[in-house]
Amino acid sequence: MLKVDKLMVFYENALAINELSIEVNRGEIVGIIGSNSAGKTTLMNTISGLLLDTRLKEQRKGGERITIFGRLSFLGQDITNVWADQRVKLGIVLSRERHPVFVESDVEENLRIASYLLPRREIKGMIAQVYRIFPALFPLRKRKAGFLSGGEQQMLAIGMSLMARPKLMLLDEPLLGLAPATQVKLIESIVTIRKEEGVTILICEQFARPVLPIIDRGYVLENGMLTLHGTGEELYDNPEVKAAYFGV
Amino acid sequence: MLVYGLINSVILALMALGFNLTFGISGVANFAYGAIYIVAGFITWTLIEKLGLPHLVSAAAAIVVIGLFGMFLYKLVLKRIRGLVISEVIATFAVALVALELLRYIGFIGFRYSLPVFIDGSVEILGAYVDIQRLLILALSILVVVAQYLFTHYTKLGLAFRGIAQDEHTSLSLGINPDRIASWSMGIGCSLGAFAAIVILPLGTITVDSGYDVLINALSVCIVGGLGSTFGVIIASFIIGYAQILTATYISSHYTIIVSLVAILVILALKPSGLLGHQKELEERV
Ligand SMILES: Nc1ncnc2c1ncn2[C@@H]1O[C@H](COP(=O)(O)OP(=O)(O)OP(=O)(O)O)[C@@H](O)[C@H]1O
Ligand SMILES: [Mg+2]
Repeated sequence: MLKVDKLMVFYENALAINELSIEVNRGEIVGIIGSNSAGKTTLMNTISGLLLDTRLKEQRKGGERITIFGRLSFLGQDITNVWADQRVKLGIVLSRERHPVFVESDVEENLRIASYLLPRREIKGMIAQVYRIFPALFPLRKRKAGFLSGGEQQMLAIGMSLMARPKLMLLDEPLLGLAPATQVKLIESIVTIRKEEGVTILICEQFARPVLPIIDRGYVLENGMLTLHGTGEELYDNPEVKAAYFGV
Repeated sequence: MLVYGLINSVILALMALGFNLTFGISGVANFAYGAIYIVAGFITWTLIEKLGLPHLVSAAAAIVVIGLFGMFLYKLVLKRIRGLVISEVIATFAVALVALELLRYIGFIGFRYSLPVFIDGSVEILGAYVDIQRLLILALSILVVVAQYLFTHYTKLGLAFRGIAQDEHTSLSLGINPDRIASWSMGIGCSLGAFAAIVILPLGTITVDSGYDVLINALSVCIVGGLGSTFGVIIASFIIGYAQILTATYISSHYTIIVSLVAILVILALKPSGLLGHQKELEERV
């Protein structure tokens, strides 16, 4: 479904992603495990196309030079130079790191803003579906998103991505800052999303323990380089992974 | 005076709404706004006087033409320099200078141009005679504010406006293209300016120089109100509107524009984010 081929990303002369090739097949949940500054966000922003926008803005300002090499393809189509909003139309939707929601709008309005690409008659049903997947959001639907807790904002952010009807959903550290119990609930919701919505999922995390049991395959990323690749179980039993990513 | 202050305030608010909309959504400070206001007046005047078109048709045509012009201005020029505030200001102000001075050159000066009122006549309110055009302005301004609220809360494009205003990258990752939205906000902002011109200009005459005054008034109302906040614009319009009427009554009507400039300086010194700018601060902190 998604192919990343020999991707390299430079911020000025610093290498953030190094010759990275990964693949995601339809229906899978694929994990990218990596610690801080491994390059997870950079990878997600490259796949979603946000990095092209950042690069353009930096270029205009005469700021940081961002260089991208390599190819991306999605459903057989080369998307290396396709702009982010077009990629969303193709079905790639990113839920960004630190769940940035629209803080001045209430929960329901956030979902309605997110329904930009959805045909009008499907909006109501989809919003109801988001509340079914995240029942905790329903009583909060009139509350401003800025006044939600981190966990609630994370659910909302994922719900917003769902409103764009993704084929491939990219989740950038969805467990960041959540309590263990909340993490478990969120992971369950992610499994539900794949089952009920038929969405393929690529998830980045530094907490490997809750994530590894639900993924089909996983990649381990260190300093922008791929160090390990295997099924969820293989990685779960790998002593190196245990040593590096299981302690909390 | 109570009544005149009210009307003056409402006029200020109506003048500023378009500028405020564009800035609030896309962050573009459109310094061509005053020129667009005057050009809209002259387009309408030309259509009515030279082509003999009906008043309402001319007005609608001017609003549409100006709106399209705003969108093109964004697509051709502003898109390339988006985010570079100084460049945006210079580029739009250059457009303003060209447009206004061109009008002067063509000869839209020297004798008096004015637009017809919609309904003639006047009524007495609280002891003051107010012409119907002024009451119409009051009604239409309320209508515009309500329409803008409904638009930004209940239509797809309007909701996308709110998304872009709050977080561009989150919007982009949901499929909302910032350039598309910014060009719409520029178009609608300019159309609002044209609308304001068409209902306000009949109160006086159309002069090239008032293009600069309109820009200054719109700027001061927006800065005092907290850039990008519609509610702030309304409150600031009342403060500046009444201050202008007081100045005109007790000192001299020549100084009314000074009130706007002083208001900008005072607010920048005391509370740079404007009266209702705190929401923006919150947003930046989060
Ligand atoms: N805009 C930028 N300019 C310069 N360097 C950057 C920029 N963004 C990221 N980097 C660098 O690129 C590397 C990868 O960063 P990235 O944000 O992708 O890591 P991450 O895996 O998402 O980390 P975290 O878990 O902390 O979110 C880091 O060394 C970081 O300092
Ligand atoms: Mg990150």
